[in-house]
Amino acid sequence: MHVERFAAMGTRVELHLFGTGDADALLWARRAIEAVDDALTIHRPSATTALNARLLAGLPAFVDDRVLLDALIEIDAVHALTRGLFDPVADVLRPGAGWGAVRFDPHNARIEASQPLALDFGGFGKGFALDRAGDALRRAGVTSAFLCAGESSIAVVGEHPLGGGWPVAIPHPLEPGRFLVELELRDEALSISSTVGGGGDAPDRAPMIRPSDCALVTAARTAIAVDHRGALAEAVSTALIVAADTHLLDAPGARRFLFSHAGMLVDA
Amino acid sequence: MRNDAFDLSRRSFLDRVLMATAGAGVAAAAPWAAQAAGRDPLAGPRVRIGVIGTGDRGRTLIRNILKTRNCTVAAVCDNFALNLEKGRALVGANTPAFADHRAMLDAGGLDAVVIATPLDLHARQTLDVFGAGLHVWCEKAMARTIKDCSAMVKASQDRGKVLQIGHQRMFHPTYLNALRRAKAGEIGPITQIRASWHRNTSWRRPIPEGSTDRKINWRLYRESSAGLMTELATHQLQIGNWFLEDIPTRVIGSGSICFWKDGREVYDQVALIYEYSGGRKLVYTSLLNNARYGCEEQIQGSKGTIEPELGRIYQEVPPKVLALQRMQEDVKRGHKRVVPIGGATWFPELPVTTPGESLGWGEYDETMLQFEGFGEAVRAGKPLPGLLAQAYAASVASLLGEQAMDRGEAMTWPTDLVKL
Repeated sequence: MHVERFAAMGTRVELHLFGTGDADALLWARRAIEAVDDALTIHRPSATTALNARLLAGLPAFVDDRVLLDALIEIDAVHALTRGLFDPVADVLRPGAGWGAVRFDPHNARIEASQPLALDFGGFGKGFALDRAGDALRRAGVTSAFLCAGESSIAVVGEHPLGGGWPVAIPHPLEPGRFLVELELRDEALSISSTVGGGGDAPDRAPMIRPSDCALVTAARTAIAVDHRGALAEAVSTALIVAADTHLLDAPGARRFLFSHAGMLVDA
Repeated sequence: MRNDAFDLSRRSFLDRVLMATAGAGVAAAAPWAAQAAGRDPLAGPRVRIGVIGTGDRGRTLIRNILKTRNCTVAAVCDNFALNLEKGRALVGANTPAFADHRAMLDAGGLDAVVIATPLDLHARQTLDVFGAGLHVWCEKAMARTIKDCSAMVKASQDRGKVLQIGHQRMFHPTYLNALRRAKAGEIGPITQIRASWHRNTSWRRPIPEGSTDRKINWRLYRESSAGLMTELATHQLQIGNWFLEDIPTRVIGSGSICFWKDGREVYDQVALIYEYSGGRKLVYTSLLNNARYGCEEQIQGSKGTIEPELGRIYQEVPPKVLALQRMQEDVKRGHKRVVPIGGATWFPELPVTTPGESLGWGEYDETMLQFEGFGEAVRAGKPLPGLLAQAYAASVASLLGEQAMDRGEAMTWPTDLVKL
């Protein structure tokens, strides 16, 4: 058993490795997450801040950072999948701002926007980083690992070291000792988004905006999404929390949950 | 300590300085240290040093000069007889002693002079020494005004004489090792330094017979000192400039006589923000009625923190997730239990109390090494590279901070400083 614990993606990351695999596997997984952090952060100079500087200036940009390009490709896909409810544009409150104003050409790694805007990979980045860490572990022959970033993004590689799936229970954010749901994960990722708990009810701590109509979402909600890819799970849980209806819950075979803390499960 | 034991500890100290300066980028950021530690002093007569000011600090300097392999104290000078006697006791009765520094200079027989007098005397005495054709080692801060600091630098350039200022941290292996690790990217880009020098003392010394309050407690009066800024902050502002590899663009601050209302004229509490390019900052506080946080520079990057006074480096490692710790223990025992995990993203918020890692290495002779370096600079007639620029910027920063507090307005970095 090996553990790697460090700060990245603006939170705490823990990688728990069980069983066999290359001795350096954990280090490679950490490096994969740090590479995502380096590329996607907007809190220090990065490929993303350079891109944002161009987009805010109304200029087209060539994306030469491979990690950022991969992230943009996935974002383009999940934006479509969530029908625009997940939107990486930082200032969607500005009229017309949003991913819809972006023209992204993945083949030529070119991006531009019809109006000045900036990107923020919150609500996507941690899942995306865990995907790349999981990929690094699998390449190294790891068959059993538990990864988490900030407790809202979780990914597992393979099965539990004692066999079967990884059993996890999502605590109720407002009622200690109660759980919203219990799940088993196998080679999957789990993302939890919530407007309550973890200090999220502090003023201006968790402003959620529905990109489709710019409505501020203030309802006490928790959204949970399980998917084979962490980036998708995270984007979906982010989208669910601001969704005005339940269409995202209807995906065949997907495990998605939306809880209203007015007292009930919206749907599953 | 026996001589052979001292030689051994000196060698070990020098090795550690060299080890630290061998890191990538460190030699360029601290060229003086590698040069001072990197070669044995040349054979030949020792550099003859006259010491002006044999108070507590001056006598500490004398003890360090006597430990060097290339310098000797050839004269001492103090206008207070008691201090002069104490200084003379360290160097032997045959060493000439003077009550007036001009008499010492006129007597000849010196290669260089060490100045350890009240701040307002530094500039005039430095110019007098240069006028006598000698080199100068002067205590920090450089002078009471920015204009005088510049005059000292200009005179050094015009006369072709060495001017070295006492910033011993620049020779300290812990600081050099800290710099090496910062240069290696271990704490990420440095965006803020929080420096403090907090003491719980009046800073007021008893006045011996034959002296006066203004002479003994010169640090407390405006004519002779900027108080906390020039006597303490200077060191830490130098560290800030050094690690940020820059000089401030401007400073804002507030000072007050808040606790020791005993007739002093300098602030007993200061709080300043020095701004650097790119939005970086050095936040500085100093006070004289609480010692809880002591003297430290918290050098903060995105991946870690260095606290060189404590000699520690801290990685940004968050605390363990308890549920995952329990999962580990369960697996070890062959138990499989549900893992209660998942919620709003965890944010690191509270102060971290992890112990960090040591930067090494205990007590050092950095003051001795800076004198050995000075001795070689005097012999070569050429200053150790980079030192004066650091000292000049630190002194200017401290005096600019005083101006910002006095005027209650932001002070921008002067544009008329002497080029180095």
